[in-house]
Amino acid sequence: MGHEPFTWLRGLGSAEHVATSALVVGVILAFAAYVRPRLASAEAAATPESRLTARSVAEAFVEAMTGLVESVIGEHAERYVPLLGSFFIFILLANLIGLIPGFTPPTADFNITFGLGAVSFLAYNVYGAREHGVKYLKHFLGPIALLAPLMLVVDVFSNLFRPVSLGIRLFANMFADHQVVEIFTSLTKFGVPVVFYVLGAFVAVVQAFVFTMLSAIYLALAVSHAEH
Amino acid sequence: MRRVGGSLWAALAVVAMADPAFAEVAAEGGGGLWYRGLIALAAGLGLGLAAFGAALGQGRATAEAMESIGRNPNSADRIFTPLIVGLALMEALALYALVIAFFLQGKV
Repeated sequence: MGHEPFTWLRGLGSAEHVATSALVVGVILAFAAYVRPRLASAEAAATPESRLTARSVAEAFVEAMTGLVESVIGEHAERYVPLLGSFFIFILLANLIGLIPGFTPPTADFNITFGLGAVSFLAYNVYGAREHGVKYLKHFLGPIALLAPLMLVVDVFSNLFRPVSLGIRLFANMFADHQVVEIFTSLTKFGVPVVFYVLGAFVAVVQAFVFTMLSAIYLALAVSHAEH
Repeated sequence: MRRVGGSLWAALAVVAMADPAFAEVAAEGGGGLWYRGLIALAAGLGLGLAAFGAALGQGRATAEAMESIGRNPNSADRIFTPLIVGLALMEALALYALVIAFFLQGKV
């Protein structure tokens, strides 16, 4: 594999991943613009659709997301559903676009996944500080007052590592997976790559789900009122 | 014991005979054959060990999940989500080693 593989956006060089993620965002915004008027009418709130339409897809997605977030965070879960739902839908579509021939998944670039991890990190700290005020810093001290200096160091390091681990997990999964699909497609042109496409689709969904679940869990830890 | 001792001496003899040649090459450039060989070995072996550890942990987690689903089939939905999250966290540890293997492979 000495030559660079063909992709539609290869002409953009190093901006290819950003352009592909802009394409994904464009698709999501187009769907949102299409479905919003249909959701906004009063009768839409009362009666569900009988067939599979854009409205029923949007409603099913929001319901599933709200159920998931509620099971992790508990009370006031609907505040966090927009953020976590956005993570899930963006990462899912960005991963899946890699399965279309001629596209590389934008999440196969560490800069993009680290950006997502950094947003998640910022989000749970801001929500935690908003919920608890200055007492949010007591979270880092641990339960026992005597061990506070040690626990502070350990907790700060483990918190700082969280966005990096979220980013590396997503990046390494999607990059390795895309490489495997590329290599097997160039080795055996027909038939066998289908197995790796199935694996790729599975990994895409699982990684989007795991990123969202972990962000929800970090949020739940930050805003929980259990100790107070 | 005697056979192990014999092969050990044979290995040492090979290394001792090969050393002068590699030492010459190493003296020229930034490290030579040993440098690149050891980096390649580290990349492959490190990833293999990481995959082995991850497989052990994930197999244990899945086995326990299967057993608890077998004991209580209605709990399958509630067990699935924590199982997937746990598997992904273990997978991530193996993936850190994969990232390091990529870095090392770039230096060979």
